[in-house]
Amino acid sequence: MRIDAYITEYARKTPQNIALEEGKNSISYSCLEKDINIIASPLMDFKHCRFAILAESGIQYVKLLMAVYRSENIAIPLPIEFPEFSLERILDTAHVNNIITTDTQYSRFGESFFERFGTVIVCSSDSSVKVLRKKIEAEINNPKLRLVLYTSGTTGTPKGVMLSDRSLVANGESIIEVLGITSKDKAALIISPHHAFGNSIIDSHLIAGGSIRIGNMNFMDSVFNLIGSGVSIFYGVPSTYRMLLKYPDRFKKAFTNVRTAASAGGGMDREIVKEIRELAPGLEIVPMYGQTEATARLAYVPAEDADKFVDTIGKAIPGVALDVFDSEYRPVEPNITGELVARGDNILLGYLDDEIATGKRIIDGWLHTGDLAQKLPNGYIRLLGRKDDLIKIGDHRVNPREIEKLIEENNELSKVFVVPVSHEFMGTAISLMVIPTEKTEIETLFAFCRKSLPGYLCPREILLIDHLPLSENGKISNRSIIEEYQHVKASV
Amino acid sequence: MEQIKDCIIDYLKANSFMDKETHLKDSDSLTQNGIIDSIGLLELMDYICEKYSIEIPENMLTPENFDSLQGITNMITKLAK
Repeated sequence: MRIDAYITEYARKTPQNIALEEGKNSISYSCLEKDINIIASPLMDFKHCRFAILAESGIQYVKLLMAVYRSENIAIPLPIEFPEFSLERILDTAHVNNIITTDTQYSRFGESFFERFGTVIVCSSDSSVKVLRKKIEAEINNPKLRLVLYTSGTTGTPKGVMLSDRSLVANGESIIEVLGITSKDKAALIISPHHAFGNSIIDSHLIAGGSIRIGNMNFMDSVFNLIGSGVSIFYGVPSTYRMLLKYPDRFKKAFTNVRTAASAGGGMDREIVKEIRELAPGLEIVPMYGQTEATARLAYVPAEDADKFVDTIGKAIPGVALDVFDSEYRPVEPNITGELVARGDNILLGYLDDEIATGKRIIDGWLHTGDLAQKLPNGYIRLLGRKDDLIKIGDHRVNPREIEKLIEENNELSKVFVVPVSHEFMGTAISLMVIPTEKTEIETLFAFCRKSLPGYLCPREILLIDHLPLSENGKISNRSIIEEYQHVKASV
Repeated sequence: MEQIKDCIIDYLKANSFMDKETHLKDSDSLTQNGIIDSIGLLELMDYICEKYSIEIPENMLTPENFDSLQGITNMITKLAK
């Protein structure tokens, strides 16, 4: 079943029930169904073609996404918080001829941005649709493909995770079971819907026939009002909770009637759980773990274990099998470190147009997550970092070597190193250590980063150094860079 | 008033995604135009509190007070009295 088919079903069974809310607006299942059909109608004569979606978070975004599903095409949501050049990079690798956008984004990005597309469809907030141009071209795609989510598009080569109707529904159903979601529940969607976590909130609550209140984290007064407006399940990444906990009184008040606080996109720490407990003793805390390659979620820590086992990822969600493998793909005993692997209907079909990358991640039907892990004697799983050098900034997985390459290729300097440093809200941010040339200017470097990297990757500081941080085996690694950074800081 | 505004513009040029050449109208939305994100806003707030020795009550953390140069300037003027 496709996700949008659930909307059709609820439009018949419970037409008056509210599906989506945003600010002062709300829309019932029957009106949502009607609008999806209007928007889908000019897409109907495309046969399983790729459609980029460029839309801000909100009711409108959900309509566009569901219209692409309804017309049996393939949705490729663009993360609009990325700088334009990252979006162009994604578009270059996605080979996409068609785009559907909102009038807000059309005027923000301007006509020239849309020149590359054969088909441009602009939708305004009253759901009227303007087809600026239309060119139907035959495409060869994986027959099961429905949605492509981009993981690392900020720097380096973006990777498009291919998901099917089956994987979207399977993961939605698992999440429904873990959190006990019903049609009575109202979800708070304040994180980006263009990525796996936000997308899974939309899927699971629409499958359950419940409602979703959409907002953002920009203005704290508005966020707390949103939470206090009858939301029963709140979703946030750890940085969301850190930001909210800065206002303990408001937190206490807003969360009084919230049933569940779920998290994903990064490990919750004990401190966050403890603070939430003190302010909202009745609130159920469910830390979850996953990755885009698994549609969204893979594991969860049951609410009753949130205090004791918050440093683990808990156990597999229903419908998923997790294991830890050694380098020869054999399961290891508890307390032995290996790579976390996963199996289930939610696992990706592969990476878009990249069979080599797919072959490295899916081996004998198991998704190799790249996360190092150990099984605990009670069956829970603990993570121990990455197999590769990826680091987690906010809720984004980033490759520091790719950021370094991007900065080096576009600036006057001899060498740059990305250092993970701690950050009040994001948990981790980055600083740069630079081996300068005579022409290196720190101001210009900062300006380049602001313009070319998304906000969470802007360096907190830029330090000039004069030699390479090398580890014992002569290779540059996160560890050698962090050691050198501590050394430089200690000597200042 | 103008002085406060210039000071905020300088801050944004140095600490947000705003370019030196960008011309921002007083009423332009900072978030819709991709100039600042949620974490950037919290940092801007800390900066304002320190610079103007004011405390911003939580119920003032709204788009009206924080999403435009005009809103921010008005809010500071009001609170700094």
